[in-house]
Amino acid sequence: MLEVSGVDAGYGATVILQDVSLKVDHGEVVTIVGANGAGKTTFLRTIAGLVTPRRGSVTFEGRDITKLAAHQIVDLGITLIPEGRQLFPDMTVRENLLMGAYRRHARDRQADTLDEVLALFPRLGERLEQHASSLSGGEQQMVAIARGMMARPKLLMFDEPSLGLAPIVVAQVFEVIERVAAAGTTVLIVEQNVYHTLKAADRGYVLENGRTVLNDTAEALLVNDHVRQAYLGI
Amino acid sequence: MTDTTMTQTAPAGRLSGQKLGLGALAILLVALFVTPVAMDDPFVYHIFITICIFAALSTAWNIVGGYAGQLSLGHAIFYGIGGYAGVMLTNLGITPWIGMFAGAGVAALVALVISWPCFRLHGPFFALATIAFLEVFRVLALHFRDLTGGATGLMIPLEIGWEWMVFRERLPALIIAFGMMLVCLGVAWAIRSNRLGFYLVATRERESAARAAGVRTVRVRLIAVAISAALSAMVGTFHAMYLSYIEPASMFSLQFSIQIAMFALIGGIGTVWGPLLGAVLLVPITEFARGALGAEAIGLHGFVYGVVLMLVVLFLPNGIVGLGQKLAGARRAAPGQAGAIATEAAAATAAPPAEARVPGQEVMRVEGLQKHFGGLHVTNDVGFTLREGEILGVIGPNGAGKTTVFNMISGFLPPDQGTVSVRAPDGSWQQPASPGDFAALGVGRTFQIVQPFAAMTVEENIMVGAFHRHANVSDAREAARETAHRMGLGHYLDTEAASLTIGGLKRLEVARVMAMQPRVLLLDEVMAGLNQTDVRRAVDLMLSIRDTGVSIIAIEHVMQAVMSLSDRVIVINSGQIIAQGDPQKVVRDPQVIEAYLGKEFTHA
Amino acid sequence: MDTFLQVVANGLMLGGLFAIVAVGLTLIFGIVKVINFAHGEFLMVGMYLTFLLSTKGGMHPYLTAAAVVPALFVMGALTQRLLIQPLMAARDEHVQIFATVGLSTALINLALLIFGADIANTPTSGVREMVTLGPVRVLTGQLWVFGAAIALVVGLQAFMKSTRTGRAIRATAQNRAAARLMGIDDRFVYVLTFGLGAACVGLGSALIAPLYPASPTIGTYFVLIAFVCTVLGGLGSIPGAFFGALVIGLVDALSGFYVGSDLREAVVFGIFLLILILKPSGLFGTRMNLSHVS
Repeated sequence: MLEVSGVDAGYGATVILQDVSLKVDHGEVVTIVGANGAGKTTFLRTIAGLVTPRRGSVTFEGRDITKLAAHQIVDLGITLIPEGRQLFPDMTVRENLLMGAYRRHARDRQADTLDEVLALFPRLGERLEQHASSLSGGEQQMVAIARGMMARPKLLMFDEPSLGLAPIVVAQVFEVIERVAAAGTTVLIVEQNVYHTLKAADRGYVLENGRTVLNDTAEALLVNDHVRQAYLGI
Repeated sequence: MTDTTMTQTAPAGRLSGQKLGLGALAILLVALFVTPVAMDDPFVYHIFITICIFAALSTAWNIVGGYAGQLSLGHAIFYGIGGYAGVMLTNLGITPWIGMFAGAGVAALVALVISWPCFRLHGPFFALATIAFLEVFRVLALHFRDLTGGATGLMIPLEIGWEWMVFRERLPALIIAFGMMLVCLGVAWAIRSNRLGFYLVATRERESAARAAGVRTVRVRLIAVAISAALSAMVGTFHAMYLSYIEPASMFSLQFSIQIAMFALIGGIGTVWGPLLGAVLLVPITEFARGALGAEAIGLHGFVYGVVLMLVVLFLPNGIVGLGQKLAGARRAAPGQAGAIATEAAAATAAPPAEARVPGQEVMRVEGLQKHFGGLHVTNDVGFTLREGEILGVIGPNGAGKTTVFNMISGFLPPDQGTVSVRAPDGSWQQPASPGDFAALGVGRTFQIVQPFAAMTVEENIMVGAFHRHANVSDAREAARETAHRMGLGHYLDTEAASLTIGGLKRLEVARVMAMQPRVLLLDEVMAGLNQTDVRRAVDLMLSIRDTGVSIIAIEHVMQAVMSLSDRVIVINSGQIIAQGDPQKVVRDPQVIEAYLGKEFTHA
Repeated sequence: MDTFLQVVANGLMLGGLFAIVAVGLTLIFGIVKVINFAHGEFLMVGMYLTFLLSTKGGMHPYLTAAAVVPALFVMGALTQRLLIQPLMAARDEHVQIFATVGLSTALINLALLIFGADIANTPTSGVREMVTLGPVRVLTGQLWVFGAAIALVVGLQAFMKSTRTGRAIRATAQNRAAARLMGIDDRFVYVLTFGLGAACVGLGSALIAPLYPASPTIGTYFVLIAFVCTVLGGLGSIPGAFFGALVIGLVDALSGFYVGSDLREAVVFGIFLLILILKPSGLFGTRMNLSHVS
């Protein structure tokens, strides 16, 4: 479904990603793990069109999306739930969710999607008219995920969903991610929290200093020494 | 992929380019004086006198607008103060030569009073504030008509002679105008080639890094503003004598202020000669339009200025001087850096012999740090000590609060509670508060997001740090060169800092701090984004720095580096220290594993 | 007492005038985050267009709005697309400032070239008739301006809150990156917003032209006042700009009467400076941070 091939990307004169490649097939849950500064966020932002690759290509459902703008990529069915929530602070939860359904194909089914999403996040239903900035970190993350789902994406990408959240909330977040995947959405997750994400995923890639150094099934990675070394240096 | 050939930066070629430029400027200056004298036509004299005046004013403006980056659109305030001071004092029988200095003094004072509260405003708001001040002055000048003559203005008494700056012939006026222009150019050049100029550009480019390098950013800007105001006022005094009649609308004119700034931008903002070139190019347009085309073409020159300004902003942001530099190829990007840095670094790290490393006395004590951001408790009772010659690693998951702690131990963020104490060279314990205080005690830091002072070369970047120890330009240059060689940047001294690779930029960041000869070095994720080879070289570099007696605290995520470098490691999670001690032991601590990988992994 | 009320009434009417100009300015700044130094010149252009259409075309000045508003929308949109957009990535702040300052200078002088320095009076067409409201008297034209200002504020708020495009604009202002991820074309939003801000000024110019003579520098005066109003009300806040304008109108009228007509401007700008220095977020404080970020 998604294929990233030999991509170099960065900001200004700085090169963050070097020759990275990745594949995600329909219905899979794939994860990218790596230490901070490895380039995981840049990777997702490149796929989402916020960063244009200098080299290489990104293909989605057979179509070359390398040079497309972010809003066009959303149209094609890729939605990124960015790092750090990135909600619209002065809008209510409802307004934030509705913004997720901005594009036409999602807008037409807006009401139905909202019902489905609220069924998945009952707590949000109670907070619909509250300002997004007044929610707790965990609740904001739920809103961010729900907002992403409002776009009815074919590929849903998560950038560090567990960032800054208490462990019990992290467990809840991953529960939601698993349910989303079970419902048939293809998922790509970037995470620092290796255990949870490898448990939820089918396959994984390890990113180090801007390069994809390892890729395997999630089970294999879970017991892989290099993975432990990449984080703890042992 | 890596280019192992050494590159020559062709210093000889660059110098000859510079000589050519200076030669051209000398010719221009001579021409500015000789042409009107040779042609001996009053109209031509008038044009050239006006060119000199505008060049002088734009150059003076550039000290604040270009070097310091504070865009003032109200500079006519100082010009007007000079003008009124001169005329008012002349009407009291005092020669304008003295009036000039009186005006300069008042203008400098006004400049300080206006600027100090306004410096912290963002660019456009600073500009708006200067416009507002200008309007206030204009209105007040209109109001106090007993003093200033109000809307009817003031005329100068008809006394002829050098004493009164009024002449029948044009030549003496040209001499004075030309002389003033030379003074302004001289002052601008002197500032730019000395410490003040470096400090101003550094402040403009990246204030936080400048402060960390010990620059008193508010003070240097105030000095620049005062000088600029004084010079503008002096030119204003002369111009008032030349025009022989002044009134608030023309002395405190917004359009005039904009023109002065405009000439500097079009010529090359932030350069010494840019404003001169801008004036030389654009003033004749005004005078021709006025003189030759007359009333028909009123507004034509202004229209041309506006259009030229927009075009320059869009296509030639560095102005005419920038265009000249591009054509002459004066500054070059740094090609094939990897190999050369490697060779340098290998030489650098081979130098000092490895001594037995026994950490010495304590140099920094951090106790009970607490910090809240709104409702979030971001730092919870953080405390540790750093000993002389030690390398202390700080690790922890993303968002744990490591950089917040760093900001508190370098003066960029005040803690809500707790103390940070640093031992001074004389042995006493001090509690520094501002980045300048920390720098004075020998604590230097790098920043996570690496940004060099983009308008300067690698050498100049390092000099900003070196100035902390050496006030003199050549001493600082010497020290910077030496530091650059130690850091493996010796071949890149003359290249644009902004064109280095990420590895080079990180090195430059460290080099700038090392030029300050710190006793304690705080490194914020210096290895992030580096490839394996660069990481190894960075580790070697840090070890060699430590061997010279510097104590290091390093936030790092690249685990191999942390493990091989650190004598001790602190782990921070959710704002608290969850483990400290020997790296190998810490890394096996179940709490640490849980923080990084998640609970289940501890039993995996 | 009656005099005092009359001064207050004058102040409020003046405030309405300032509000129409200020609303467009705050819209542009709040969304696009650009200080448009040429905003006053947009007003000037609009006033001259109104003048031309009503004198040469024989239209009632208010009716010229049908042409002036779209014309200024286009002008604003082009300014954003051709002048501002290429510079949005520029590292130096001064670049954007100089761009709009250059535009302002070019427009002022273009007007000088075309119309000369003489003032241009738009036919008043009945808007200078006096109307008595209790103890005070105002001009009908002033009431129209005041009413239009209120309608503009209410209309814009409704647009922002309830329409899809309005929400997209608000979203872009609150979090540009997230807006892009929603599928919003942020560049289009900026062009649209700049055009909208200019269009507001266009509406204002059609209403103001019969009350004030047009001259090449009329914009400079109004734009500085508009800046004061928007900063007072909190940049980016439309109701803030309106109330800020009312306050400044009152200050102008009251200081003109009690302090001295020639010192009015000094008082207004003095207040402006105090706000910038002491409370830059204004009375209605937005999230805008005017100070340097280290």
